[in-house]
Amino acid sequence: MTCRDMDGMISSHSGDSLLSPEAAEHIVGCERCRSLMRLVDEAREIPAPSEIQLKRIQSGILKNLKPVRPLPPSRIFLFAFALIFVSVVAVGTLMLGINGWSVLSMEQKIAIFATLSASAVLLALSMARQMVPGSKHAVSPATLPIAILVVLMLVIAAMFRSEEEPAFVANGLMCIRNGLEYSLPTALLFWMLLRRGAILFPKLIGAAAGGFSGLIGLSVLEINCSNLNVYHILVWHWGVILIASLAGVAVGAAVEYIDRYRDQKNSF
Amino acid sequence: MARYQRADPAAPAALVKLLSPQLYRFFAGPMGSKTDAEDMLQDVWLRIHRVRHTYRPGEPVLPWVYAIARRVRVDDYRKRHRIASRETGVDVLPETWVNKDERSCLPRFEELVAALPESQREVVTMLKVDGLSIEEVARATSSTVGAVKQKAHRAYERLRKLLEQTPMAQTARKGATQ
Repeated sequence: MTCRDMDGMISSHSGDSLLSPEAAEHIVGCERCRSLMRLVDEAREIPAPSEIQLKRIQSGILKNLKPVRPLPPSRIFLFAFALIFVSVVAVGTLMLGINGWSVLSMEQKIAIFATLSASAVLLALSMARQMVPGSKHAVSPATLPIAILVVLMLVIAAMFRSEEEPAFVANGLMCIRNGLEYSLPTALLFWMLLRRGAILFPKLIGAAAGGFSGLIGLSVLEINCSNLNVYHILVWHWGVILIASLAGVAVGAAVEYIDRYRDQKNSF
Repeated sequence: MARYQRADPAAPAALVKLLSPQLYRFFAGPMGSKTDAEDMLQDVWLRIHRVRHTYRPGEPVLPWVYAIARRVRVDDYRKRHRIASRETGVDVLPETWVNKDERSCLPRFEELVAALPESQREVVTMLKVDGLSIEEVARATSSTVGAVKQKAHRAYERLRKLLEQTPMAQTARKGATQ
């Protein structure tokens, strides 16, 4: 057994439980692990809170005790997120047309829409889990929006080529406006759903909600816009997700600020 | 928790009694003061009460509670940081729960853990002070089991190095070589 193997043992070992024979053998021969074990085993020697304080907390809770209905299962929220996503993209397609879809090659369609769908599923799962404290996360909520932005950028860069485009800015501004017109109102819908849960880290959930609504804008643009210039897509289409994500973080920061003031006023 | 959600008056009292010592340890852990820990304990119960509808019956309670406690600790840290940035100095240091054990030759847990980066300190505190499992720590910190194991490993390695630098360990090494 090595010191590295001992780490798992130390994490799960409590002071009064017995060590496995291999671990005990290692501890006898290793001064470093022996000192560490002794150190962490004394970690729980911290005094308890006063009885008066516990009574005050208990009476504070009892004063405001009302029955509450537990949050609906995550699948309900996932269904709602999916419904909003599909509905808004369908409306966008009907309003703006499918010029982009017609000019995309089969490989481009598969790569772009598979990445968009996978990103949407991951962000929807992340949002649903962030609504409930202590949920299991396959990918850290802080990493996911950044990873999605990077992956989408790479996929776009790999699938499209540079083309001559005389009105780069004028065309681009029209695209980004179209994308944000579908993204930002949808973000408000998501926010209304997310508020039903416990938003512990508003900036993180804001980034996820912004990113998710940005994916809607990007999907609408990919179906509608026939411009296949890689720089156009990277700046004006991918930019929709970036702006929506940053807007989500900004809204989250504002919510955090408001919450701080609210918490200062409330106490038991 | 399910009874608490149904407003059974006995449930919150039992929960407060059961979980508060553990939460207090979490707040009073490395570098925490007694007064801060009491404030945070009150704050965490206020938030637990406010978001009690988000607990899903059948799910583990500890990660749910600790995820909220973690947020409270982050807010408290930021609040103290804001206040400290505006203060020039204090005459009396805040009362801390730490009392150095004169009989012990080893440095105390809190002293060494205080030298760890925040994320590693949090993981070690949850694992060793509060007795949570790796899976529970991963849920409470919105992280993965692998990431928690990695942080714990780095923290233990750092603690081993710090322990080696203590006078007692150095004396023991000298004795062994002679």
